[in-house]
Amino acid sequence: MSGPPAHGFAAPTRFGAFGGCFAPETLMAPLLELEQAWLAARADPAFAAELDALLRHYAGRPTPLSPARRLSQCLGCEVWLKREDLLHTGAHKLNNTLGQCLLAARMGRRRILAETGAGQHGVATATACALLGLDCVVYMGAVDAARQRPNVLRMQLLGARVHVVEHGQKTLKDAINEALRAWVADPQHSHYVLGSALGPHPFPSIVAGFQEVIGREARAQMLEQARALPDAVLACVGGGSNAIGIFRGFLDDPGVRLTGVEAGGRGPGAGEHAARFQGGSPGVLHGCHSYLLQDADGQIQPTHSVSAGLDYPAVGPEHAALHASGRARYVSAGDAEALAGFQLLARCEGILPALESSHAVGWLSRQAASLRGQRVLVNLSGRGDKDLDTVARILEPEP
Amino acid sequence: MSAAPVRASANRLEQRLAELRRRGGKGLAPYVTAGDGGLETTLAVLRALDDAGAACVELGVPFSDPIADGPLLQQAADRALADGTTLAGILSTVREFRSGSRGRPGSELPVALMSYSNPLLRRGWSALCRDAAKAGVDALIVPDLPPEEAGEMREAALSSGICPIFFVAPTTTEPRVRMAAEASRGFLYVVGRTGVTGAATDIDAATVSFLQRVRAAAALPLAVGFGLATPGQVAAALAHADLAIVGSALVRHIHESARSAPDFVAAAARAAAGFLTELRRGLP
Repeated sequence: MSGPPAHGFAAPTRFGAFGGCFAPETLMAPLLELEQAWLAARADPAFAAELDALLRHYAGRPTPLSPARRLSQCLGCEVWLKREDLLHTGAHKLNNTLGQCLLAARMGRRRILAETGAGQHGVATATACALLGLDCVVYMGAVDAARQRPNVLRMQLLGARVHVVEHGQKTLKDAINEALRAWVADPQHSHYVLGSALGPHPFPSIVAGFQEVIGREARAQMLEQARALPDAVLACVGGGSNAIGIFRGFLDDPGVRLTGVEAGGRGPGAGEHAARFQGGSPGVLHGCHSYLLQDADGQIQPTHSVSAGLDYPAVGPEHAALHASGRARYVSAGDAEALAGFQLLARCEGILPALESSHAVGWLSRQAASLRGQRVLVNLSGRGDKDLDTVARILEPEP
Repeated sequence: MSAAPVRASANRLEQRLAELRRRGGKGLAPYVTAGDGGLETTLAVLRALDDAGAACVELGVPFSDPIADGPLLQQAADRALADGTTLAGILSTVREFRSGSRGRPGSELPVALMSYSNPLLRRGWSALCRDAAKAGVDALIVPDLPPEEAGEMREAALSSGICPIFFVAPTTTEPRVRMAAEASRGFLYVVGRTGVTGAATDIDAATVSFLQRVRAAAALPLAVGFGLATPGQVAAALAHADLAIVGSALVRHIHESARSAPDFVAAAARAAAGFLTELRRGLP
């Protein structure tokens, strides 16, 4: 190898063979600056204290760990739910947006850009911006804006400008393209709050770092409430921030199996799903090297999932590394299984889960026989109020 | 692994730029998206640009998710992909441009292939560079591949006799300008302002001081791009650079001139030649 030039980054940019920083030159300086600011903030007890106070007194951390008694009876295994659905704004996304918006304010950036798929990250970003007095622009694909209408209204009420993206597949991928372009145009005054543990370094590390509070809490709560670690941890994986957040709490516990559930959509055909590990291959999208759904020429393939938050052609690089090392395994649940999971949790536990999280519940229900008697921790990453229209349309189609 | 790659001689692009410098001249580097209007159109446009006096040409390999491009070039890529354009087809077109066909002799106009990492990486950097060099490609430009990530690409390019070309932008620090210049062969790609391709550019005082800063740090010829559309802008840019890159404005002009013409291919070639001839008024 003729060695590449010395790297400007201080922290490792890769997770095994995956990750990296495949960014246009215009973004390299802002990314280098962001990494410096993040490392400095991480080492600053005052930053940690400020974030911790917000998480505790504003967001509602720690979130509960609920024993799912009736669901356990029904499935024949011992199910525990980490209740990120109870976090303010209804999903785990706020952990990251509060962290990144505090970081942006520390860097003197007053204009926040974000993409959103299901709308949860957009709402969480708009919320953090309202709280901290920052300007907020959220990019959202037209298809997602239509199927997640209540979240569009929420963002607008919180003072954000919602920029509807009308090109490409008009979903999360295209919203990220547009947000990146907006950042390329104004990197000195803007900060891009990427919503999942993907994108160019340092984003995957920053986002996972702000989400690992989920796993830290869940591990301690399991030891306290169940008096034991779980046998298995389950989480849905779109970009994969809720999954990496809870997985990180258990990486050093070799007895704990980690399972990520991708969106199997309508089936294994091209364009019918978002199961990157089963239908994809390594490549580069949105600044990082990971598994993605692409055709023979390296063009990104369309995806489908009933849940907007899992409807994305690439997966975060840390998951690709966990897949490669075998530390975590990745499976998929289809639209129908997710719907079944949604209904099961509603009726057994009185919880309407987000359609994203419903994929983990649906997979658990299908695999229950093989998990008999085991202790299973499910990350309930969000609540399902935003999905009522979608669910109603499927369960009671109009004549 | 083999030792550090050594190249026998300068390639077409380096020779052309050296010649330009010897004469104290400046040049135009038009960009077109390959397959926009079909690859037959691309071949005709390449020939027209050569006839109209381009110094070199950038040939875009369309990608579904071009994050550094504005709407004009994204639409051009979408049109090309909808038309079934592939990398293999583009390389065949370059081969035909080089060898000549239909009574038309081959061309020595330097060709830089430009695309995002993923469609190129799909073939693997070694195979890509070998195949591209064989087809007659002289340089490789990859906007989402900064020098830090380009070790393999650079090695593969150099050992195939292809110039790897990197970017500098107004946000680029001094050490990074030097790093990009040292990593590049042929020319250094200077993004004239922050932003995606295609938005209007004024060569203002800040741009001039940026270009002067790059010139001081890099011995390589400079190609400045992003948003140039008029002879006046070309002249202003070339006061501080060797090559003016013209992309979005040219792509739009070709598309709009040809789309309702009875003979699309001929109209596209005429439009390309006409636009370049007009911009040449901005050359010193």
